[in-house]
Amino acid sequence: MDIRENLAQIGEELRKELETADAVQSLEALRVKVLGKKGSLTALLRGMGGLSPEERPKMGQMINEAREKLTALLDEKQRELAAKEKEIRLAAEAIDVTEPRELPEIGAEHPMNLVLSEVLDCFTSMGFSVVEGPEVELDLYNFELLNVPKNHPARDAQDTFYIDDNVVLRSQTSPVQARTMLTQKPPIRIVCPGRVFRADEVDATHSPVFHQIEGLVIDKDVTMADLKGTLDAFAKRLYGPDIDVRFRPSFFPFTEPSAEVDLTCFNCHGKGCRVCKGTGWIEVLGCGMVNPKVLEMCGIDSKVYSGFAFGIGVERITMLRYGIKDMRLLYEGDLRFLKQFR
Amino acid sequence: MKVSMKWLKQYADIPVTPAEYESRMVMTGTGVEGVEPIAPELEGVVVGKVLTCRPHENSDHLHVCTVDVGEGEPLQIVCGAPNVTEGILVPVAKIGAKLPGGVTIKKGKLRGVESQGMLCSGPEIGVPVELYPSVGTAGLLVFREDHPLGADVKPIFGLDDTVIDFEILANRPDCLCVWGVARETAVAMNTELKLPEIKVTEAGGDIHDYAKVDVQESELCPRYAAKVIKNVRVGESPYWLRQYLYAAGMRSINNIVDITNFIMLETGHPMHAFDLSKVRGSHIIVRKAEKGEKLTTLDGKEYALNGTELMICDEQGPTGLAGIMGGEESEITETTKYVLFECASFDRACVRVTARSLGIRTESSGRFERGVSPATVMDALNRACQMVNELDAGDVVGGVIDIYPKPLQPVTLTVSCARMARRAGVDIAPEEMENILKKLQFSVTRNGDEMAVTAPLFRQDMEQEADICEEVLRYAGYGRIPITHLRGETPMGGMNDTGRRESVIRGQLTGMGFYESMTFSFISPKTIAALGLPESDPRNAPLMIRNPLGEDTSCMRTTVLPGLLKTLATNIKNGNESGKLYELGTIYDAKNRTKEGLPTETHELALGMYGGSADFYAIRGVVEALCKQAGIPCAIASTDAPYLHPGRRAAILAGEDVLAVVGEMHPDTAVKYGLSGRVYVAVVNLPLFFAKTRAMGEVKSIARFPAVNRDLALVMKETQQVGPLMEALRHGCGAMLEDIRMFDVFRGVQVGLGNKSVAFSLTFRAADHTLTDEEITALTEKALKISKEQFGAVLRA
Repeated sequence: MDIRENLAQIGEELRKELETADAVQSLEALRVKVLGKKGSLTALLRGMGGLSPEERPKMGQMINEAREKLTALLDEKQRELAAKEKEIRLAAEAIDVTEPRELPEIGAEHPMNLVLSEVLDCFTSMGFSVVEGPEVELDLYNFELLNVPKNHPARDAQDTFYIDDNVVLRSQTSPVQARTMLTQKPPIRIVCPGRVFRADEVDATHSPVFHQIEGLVIDKDVTMADLKGTLDAFAKRLYGPDIDVRFRPSFFPFTEPSAEVDLTCFNCHGKGCRVCKGTGWIEVLGCGMVNPKVLEMCGIDSKVYSGFAFGIGVERITMLRYGIKDMRLLYEGDLRFLKQFR
Repeated sequence: MKVSMKWLKQYADIPVTPAEYESRMVMTGTGVEGVEPIAPELEGVVVGKVLTCRPHENSDHLHVCTVDVGEGEPLQIVCGAPNVTEGILVPVAKIGAKLPGGVTIKKGKLRGVESQGMLCSGPEIGVPVELYPSVGTAGLLVFREDHPLGADVKPIFGLDDTVIDFEILANRPDCLCVWGVARETAVAMNTELKLPEIKVTEAGGDIHDYAKVDVQESELCPRYAAKVIKNVRVGESPYWLRQYLYAAGMRSINNIVDITNFIMLETGHPMHAFDLSKVRGSHIIVRKAEKGEKLTTLDGKEYALNGTELMICDEQGPTGLAGIMGGEESEITETTKYVLFECASFDRACVRVTARSLGIRTESSGRFERGVSPATVMDALNRACQMVNELDAGDVVGGVIDIYPKPLQPVTLTVSCARMARRAGVDIAPEEMENILKKLQFSVTRNGDEMAVTAPLFRQDMEQEADICEEVLRYAGYGRIPITHLRGETPMGGMNDTGRRESVIRGQLTGMGFYESMTFSFISPKTIAALGLPESDPRNAPLMIRNPLGEDTSCMRTTVLPGLLKTLATNIKNGNESGKLYELGTIYDAKNRTKEGLPTETHELALGMYGGSADFYAIRGVVEALCKQAGIPCAIASTDAPYLHPGRRAAILAGEDVLAVVGEMHPDTAVKYGLSGRVYVAVVNLPLFFAKTRAMGEVKSIARFPAVNRDLALVMKETQQVGPLMEALRHGCGAMLEDIRMFDVFRGVQVGLGNKSVAFSLTFRAADHTLTDEEITALTEKALKISKEQFGAVLRA
């Protein structure tokens, strides 16, 4: 048989077999059968010994061309089959992506610490330093230096816990003010977060242990308008740009003038609702200009310096922030409560 | 402080709605806690006369009455009250009338007889029995005075009145009375203050012929004034007076006592009325008690006195606690003929200390504690006498006893308008300041910026310029304070060190799935004792609170653990299947005192977990992970913490120091805290943790040469701890042992009873070359040698 015919036949046979090949593996066998050392095409090459020298290169070229062609055919089929096989495998590997699994658990800080962090961020960004003071405190700092002399009604046993005549559980974070003024020269800009204690029985809105954040600024020419501006910035940062502050006259022994501060109700935005009892305002903190007597007792010249102080109840703003109705939840530690925070 | 609006309106006009009034008062510094109309719902109840009254045919207690209500035909009304009878005047609720509580009267039949309304008792129309004595809740209110038939009962009983509950600030005792609030109201409303003109008609005689007063403690009693009333006619007070007292929360006693209470409520001056014939020697002596003296007060309680109390005495002994309560002996009774009215001023602290030590609190003591000005005593006393005239309760004897050795001098402060405006941050013109102060009854002399300001004598809270500034600002309006921002040098703010570090730890614990809880700082000493710590442990000697709320909150915690255990117990009890919780809080060491003598306060971290994947290794791992992040190399050692399982507890050491104790709760201890199931805890000494914390240093270069792993399974005794073995290998194989990891523990007959096979993966690497087979073999041999010689651990066959 003519080589040419042989080539055509080999090609024809391969094409036929390729049509029915359905696996990459069977393709490999085909490749060996045709192109392998003992393959049909290789046999043709070997058979070229009987050709004339003129014919040899021509035939050689022809066989090589055919080889390339057949290799391409095989390769193409292989790619096709490999793709098909991969498809089948991937399909077989499909999983139910809606099946539930246990999540890696991420915990949470206590809601009061979440709120406290925000408040402290706000004040530190305004140049306030965070300082802390003792919770078991001298009467001197908790009362006397804050213009609450002996036998002031605020000292009644039902209000303050005593260790002895001179030592109390601080009933406010204000003693840190006195400690700071006695040791630091103005300008002073501090916030002091911490626990305070008052002899209140536990109920939905009272706890004998609670938290405050005290703020104090002492400098030359500090005014009540600066106090309002500082608290306005705080309110807007914490509760949003449409929250305003309202000052109402009040009394604290260590500030004069004093004010009770209301914020626009963040539930109804001032329209009046259940949370604000229809007033559109929510009482949030107390503040005032530091009483000159306090400055003097703490060694600061009240003719040169003035300042303001404020005290924020952390429980109160936390409860308002998250709509918590019962303060006891904050101290009970039930995970069904704690897990709601993030 | 509750006040009748009618009473208040006698002295100051309120030409606005109650809501607007409330808002103006609040914004000028007089708090309002509530505005309550007395009977907002009452409507259609009129005065009627029972014309006829016959028994109901079908009832043994009902009556059928005809009642004249001043218009048209008499009404036929069926009534069940036992005291219904012909001729009485009673309140009649006509058809359509509304009663308190949302009741509307409808036409109806009672056992077959038509009833066109209802005859009412006091409580049914909002008039309590105390206010209008009748026969009790079951009986009709029977008018004792004449009223036109058909008249609305609301004005008769003052039921059209409104009670305002004022919240008076601690620095304004002068406002604890109707006149005080009226003064503020007049300024806030910009209306005229109309205090009554005080005129007393005296019946002659001289008080000095009736009584004598000696004040031995003029420091504690700066002023004592007295008037005497003779021919006293003790009786019931008129309805309006009873109602004013009732609105203020006080009970009517009799006309004389009611006058003293009325004066207290109206003027702010507590008064006392003595039955002068019971004052032995008719001689009042104000002195301190003698130790051991006794007094029985008006409420029938006997007090033994310790000698510090200021007493009102007669020639034989105490007859009243000054400023707090009178004695039973000299109480006003129906037979009293001579009354001595006392109006005095007592030292605040003295009244407070006595009231506290005896455990008595009265309207009077509360006012004296907050401060009653001696300057206005005579106004109150004369007003009381005027009331005696008006109520015809007796005849006022001429003259007065007034012991007032050091009359209160007005205080004049020199202030600067500009400085006050600057303090307030509000542009208030000096003229405006002057006007406000004058309205508040200050006398003002202004010379440009400078003002000399004299406060009225009833104001005792004006001591410095800042006080005047507040007065001005209150009425200029807090709403006028603008918003400005801090100027001047801006200090570098920021968190404190501890706060910053603790915030990092909190974040890491959050990431590890822990939730933060908080408990009280005071606990029961029993919950500390339950830990079973050795007696000498300082945690067993907590700081005790002198006046705790109860035993369970009586000492300051010396460890956070009991609080955390309580939280864990709550969660287990509440059915939460698993939990990871921590508390980071202050603990108080009473043994180590600061220079000021205060207990040392430090922070402690307690961690707890139960259920789920919780086990000893998990809780230990959390602590180790915290240490790793803080750059603290730590070791595991034994501990004798008695509250932990003896076979499942460990100390985490940083060098020689115990950084933390971890373990499973001892079952005996767990029971004491109400814990069920296995609970794992850790207690971390935070100050030590922070002291040992190291900042990360320079970054190490990444190794260039390949690592080789060798796995070794070593069989050893069950009791052999793995930690020390690994530590020895790490140490013995030197720097080329990059890492050693335990990945399996096998127990079974294959390795022999009482033995375990522990599989380790060792990673070897040299920094400067690729390790040769010889080197690796030598290292492995070394590891095996150490294991065998030091720990009896041999390669598993």
